[in-house]
Amino acid sequence: MKDWELVCGLETHVELSTKTKIFCSCTTEFGGEPNTHCCPVCIGLPGTLPKLNRAVVEYAVMAGLATHCEINPNAKMDRKNYVYPDLPKAYQISEYDQPLCQKGYVELSNGRKIRLTRIHIEEDAGKLVHERGNTLVDYNRGGVPLIEIVSEPDIRSIDEAVEYLEKLQMIMRYIGVSDCKMQEGSLRCDVNISVRPKGSDKLGTRTEIKNMNSFSHMTKAMEYETERQIDLLESGEEIVQETRRYDEGTGCTEGMRGKEDANDYRYFRDPDLVAIRVSPEKLAELKARMPEDPQARFSRFVKDFGLPEADARLLIEHRRIADYFEAAAKGTKNPRAVANCITGSIFARLATDAEKEEFRVTVSPENLNALVKLLDEGKLRMNLLKSTLEKMLDTGKPASEFLSEKDLAGVGADDLRKICEQAAADNPNAVKDYRAGKEKALKAVLGAVMKATRGRANPQEAEAILSEIMAG
Amino acid sequence: MVTHEEILKIANLAKLSVAPEELDGLTKDMNEIIGFADTISAATADASDFDNINGLSNVFREDTVVPSFDREEILKNAESREDGYFLVRRRR
Repeated sequence: MKDWELVCGLETHVELSTKTKIFCSCTTEFGGEPNTHCCPVCIGLPGTLPKLNRAVVEYAVMAGLATHCEINPNAKMDRKNYVYPDLPKAYQISEYDQPLCQKGYVELSNGRKIRLTRIHIEEDAGKLVHERGNTLVDYNRGGVPLIEIVSEPDIRSIDEAVEYLEKLQMIMRYIGVSDCKMQEGSLRCDVNISVRPKGSDKLGTRTEIKNMNSFSHMTKAMEYETERQIDLLESGEEIVQETRRYDEGTGCTEGMRGKEDANDYRYFRDPDLVAIRVSPEKLAELKARMPEDPQARFSRFVKDFGLPEADARLLIEHRRIADYFEAAAKGTKNPRAVANCITGSIFARLATDAEKEEFRVTVSPENLNALVKLLDEGKLRMNLLKSTLEKMLDTGKPASEFLSEKDLAGVGADDLRKICEQAAADNPNAVKDYRAGKEKALKAVLGAVMKATRGRANPQEAEAILSEIMAG
Repeated sequence: MVTHEEILKIANLAKLSVAPEELDGLTKDMNEIIGFADTISAATADASDFDNINGLSNVFREDTVVPSFDREEILKNAESREDGYFLVRRRR
């Protein structure tokens, strides 16, 4: 049996979060009663004139900048012709040979760069509901602006495909051009997939799985399709180049139609729309609007704040969280404690990805900052940090509401010595072990001291006193 | 020269059915249209002139919502409808 290698490229559709549609001023709001977000332009009535939304061009250029693309100074829009009821005009306005962005890449955690062929803007189609052999059409989504992000076939595993898509989702949310909610269809992708013997540099015949709308479906569909193709090739059969649909019920992919039939889109320039020029001045203005690249922020969190990579990765995933962390960690000596507060107690209260994206937290970053600064000043022990934060999260009140003078006072040197002596007296075996050379025995006694002081003792001081007492 | 097969392919893409007796006439018409377009191809001009023939660029709309049409207006010309949707009946 040969070893097979997966070769995969993704076409990702991202709905832009503009307020209005791409060619008319209807709202892009999700849902709504069928056909209530429509006008003569987006239902394709003859004689209407589409007019391009400025924000769509700006968002698409920002998406290109965030993925290291070259921005095309001369773009235009074309008609892609096909007859299907989701498109009332029988063509989709898209970009063919002069897309806004080209030749970018997305870098994965293993260092591999997945090259992007292009990013172009286009209009979304309407939604079809199939019922008793008939089709019901809702054009609310028709004309919602999309960017299509096309990757080269650089992806070599299902894990890489998932990470690539997660990265795209993170980047697009970061720069604020899309909410990328897969469950609402504002992020969806088509997977082009083929297999080849490991070590070969030729591309096998590919199939395209349409409209993946969740990470788990994408994973399952890719697993199934890879196995299917390997089975066919190993039994001496050929792969048919075709478009396939993933069936969530059976977990299988099935053929939809042959490519040769569908691929004749007869693109031509849309004569209703004028050229799109991105001037150097405009480009500079949009670059200035870009937030810090998440990858750069990740590196900065690790380097400047001394965070472990795993923590930094969790924090940068959502821009609001990263902003919150920076505000809360400002001027503290203990950014790791701030990170732990966020990834521990705060994340425990944000169950879903959507909740993290919104990041509604009762504790302001200023209040968390003040709490951690108490730690810096030695006024607060680590074990009181968590319980205090929990109370703050419950009530939204600052730390000062919950910490008494006594909590913050620490333990005086004389008191601490007495407590240490008592703890040593209570643990004669540990003292004996310690004198016999078992240095670890000190930790048990230290634990007793911390317990007796309810964590208010300074552990370094207590350890110094204990080692003196226990050495005898 | 456009062939009968090409006419049938184009008709198929546009979901049109063409009767055999129509084929000769349609093929002749299509050849005349393409012949006319060839006249334009013969013109010597820089391709970039065509790229922006009206001299306009960046005609944009601001991203401000305007109320949509009443659904009754939207569905007024629909051949059939159901529950506020356009209804497309299955082709027999």
